[in-house]
Amino acid sequence: MPKKKLRFALAGNANVGKSVIFNQLTGLHQHIGNWPGKTVEKAEGTLHFKGYTIDIIDLPGIYSLSTFSLEELITREYIATEKPDLVINVVDASVLERNLFFTLQLIELEAPLIIALNQMDMAEKKGIKIDYEKLEKILGVPVVPTVAIKGEGIYELLKRAIEVIEKKAIKPAAVKYGEEIEERIRRLIDALKDTQLKYPVRWIAIKLLEGDEQVEKEIEKLNPRILELAEKLAEEIEKIHGHPCPTVITSERYEAAGRIARNVQQILPRIKPSLRERIHTLTTHSVAGYLIMALVVLGIFQTIFSFGDYTSELLSDILYSYEPLFEQFLGSGFLKEIIWGGVMEGIIANITIALPYIIPFYIILYTLEDSGYMARIAFLTDTLMHKIGLHGKAFIPIMLGYGCNVPACLGCRIMETERERFLAAFVVTLIPCAARTVIILGLVGAFLGMQWALALYIIDLAIVFLLGRLAFKALPGEPTALIMEMPDYRIPHLKTIVKQTWFRLREFLEISFPLIIVSSVIIKLVEVYGLLKPLSQILSPITVNWLGLPEITGVTLIFGILRKELTLIMLAALLGTTNFQAVLTPLQMFVFTLVVMLYIPCIATIAACTREFGWKKALTITIIEILFAILAGGLAYRFLAVLNLLEH
Amino acid sequence: MKVPLTALKKGESGIVASIKSSLGRGRCWGWGFQKRLVDMGLTPGTKVTMIKSAPFNGPIEVLVRGYRLVLGRGMAERILVEVQECPRKSSGSP
Repeated sequence: MPKKKLRFALAGNANVGKSVIFNQLTGLHQHIGNWPGKTVEKAEGTLHFKGYTIDIIDLPGIYSLSTFSLEELITREYIATEKPDLVINVVDASVLERNLFFTLQLIELEAPLIIALNQMDMAEKKGIKIDYEKLEKILGVPVVPTVAIKGEGIYELLKRAIEVIEKKAIKPAAVKYGEEIEERIRRLIDALKDTQLKYPVRWIAIKLLEGDEQVEKEIEKLNPRILELAEKLAEEIEKIHGHPCPTVITSERYEAAGRIARNVQQILPRIKPSLRERIHTLTTHSVAGYLIMALVVLGIFQTIFSFGDYTSELLSDILYSYEPLFEQFLGSGFLKEIIWGGVMEGIIANITIALPYIIPFYIILYTLEDSGYMARIAFLTDTLMHKIGLHGKAFIPIMLGYGCNVPACLGCRIMETERERFLAAFVVTLIPCAARTVIILGLVGAFLGMQWALALYIIDLAIVFLLGRLAFKALPGEPTALIMEMPDYRIPHLKTIVKQTWFRLREFLEISFPLIIVSSVIIKLVEVYGLLKPLSQILSPITVNWLGLPEITGVTLIFGILRKELTLIMLAALLGTTNFQAVLTPLQMFVFTLVVMLYIPCIATIAACTREFGWKKALTITIIEILFAILAGGLAYRFLAVLNLLEH
Repeated sequence: MKVPLTALKKGESGIVASIKSSLGRGRCWGWGFQKRLVDMGLTPGTKVTMIKSAPFNGPIEVLVRGYRLVLGRGMAERILVEVQECPRKSSGSP
């Protein structure tokens, strides 16, 4: 018998354990990509159950189906036009009212629905008891209680889902608005009856009254008279209630959600705040909160860099021990230079960065995210981030940037609007990543002292704020504000963290692996054909005249585009020594490092930016940063020479 | 008495009266952000309790509809609330 195919979509608020349910359902059979042409993640997986092959799509975590964010648009478009066989609405039992507000919108969208009433254990701990059978009766939608993190209720959820599909037995009860609104909805439905719509007609009518931009645009194309009618009706409602019509409709929807929630839940007041509440109070405290955050951030860097340095060295020792083997087979001529010096060294560079630095970075980051601590960081850093036109959530990708700019650019997706994402990514590319830290510490730190290395970091932060502010002023669009749920602390789900880390790692490797290998080969070819000197000569007006550096640094700056840490490695190779003191003046070291720190995100970062924002914006970032670095380097050279702080 | 949401003291509650639209010309929060606030449950007539305010004019944390919501200060200043008489002592937890 051929297997029957089904398509389920998971939908719900953020922080409800949706991705844990997704992982429980699909196990290892999943892949994560992007929605076509969008910077929103799309996770898909497959499972087999009772003779069915079920594709599961994890829709983004959202709070409403309006047009506020890309995620909301994608979700409603997917549900309405792709018509999945079933939508599994994951509901957080401990915040029932707000979650039901979303459920009611899914019902309005006429999605075939089943509810996973998740985090039942958390609700219980908060003293909330829910009569889920009663909830099922009121909504007309099957409700299955689950504790996804322990795998409880997942089998039952699937069983009910299949039952529902086989019997076609869902009759959801849609929200009834006040008569003055219902009457106007009916008039709009009447006016809409001859038009071809991809969304349910009642939903369109409601959205028109809510002033939904996207729906208005579509209806205007079909029949502008309907739009005029909708505007008139909305004004009438505004007059009756004294509030804008969209607010009135949302209010009534929330009232309905609240009524249902009060009807099915019992809340027992608790005497003592729980441990997780006390941790929350402490970690958002105006003094202790910042201290803890500083410790956490320092702890992360300390862990990652000490673990990373150790493992990185270990791995590179192991991998380089194969060099004689290659020499044996390939001799020591041209072929060996290309294959070992090009391809293999590219692979080694990838492995020694990806495994030791990026894996622990992601594991720690997702643990913090999953536990809820990231929301506290956003709360504490919001004021600071506002100085560059961003809000608290941007602190997370910026922190990621200190590890590697590639995942940090991709991490800017947590910002809500396209503008914020781009602004955050621009700032991220100015953050010195691990490779740049190697140069700052290995050149300036080692030869000029740590105070000069620290000075570079401070200069960098100042530049981040300066350029961030300028970009914020230059970019058109609305400024941003933090609107964020503060989730309860919870114990992170290890499997979900490992999986997220794995997918992120794979994404990084996909972007950087081919680029680094190709670029390593190119460098080798240039070197073998003796093109290093001519290239440096071309750049000498900039390097020698403007920046006061030795001519040979020009070529290291070119190859730094491919991989930042190459600038130092090549510098040593070209100057024939690692004792840079002998060949560079302290001032030259400082200027060189400053330029390397600022001048461009490496090619893998440019590729990540291109993927997220298109090549035009990626190119803009690149050009601005090259020009800025040259400017800053030249100014620093002249300024420090006049002040005579560093020997030149 | 109507005051901005940010004027509530810790543990004090208020009822949402209205959300001020953009003040004059220039850079302002558009309809999208107002709709967002309403979508997060801050509809007129809703009870809001202040939990805490981040230092350096940072965001505020409030309790609304049984969950904690964080709002940037600039945004929160536009939400007008009717202060409730004799605020009950609240532990600041949902």
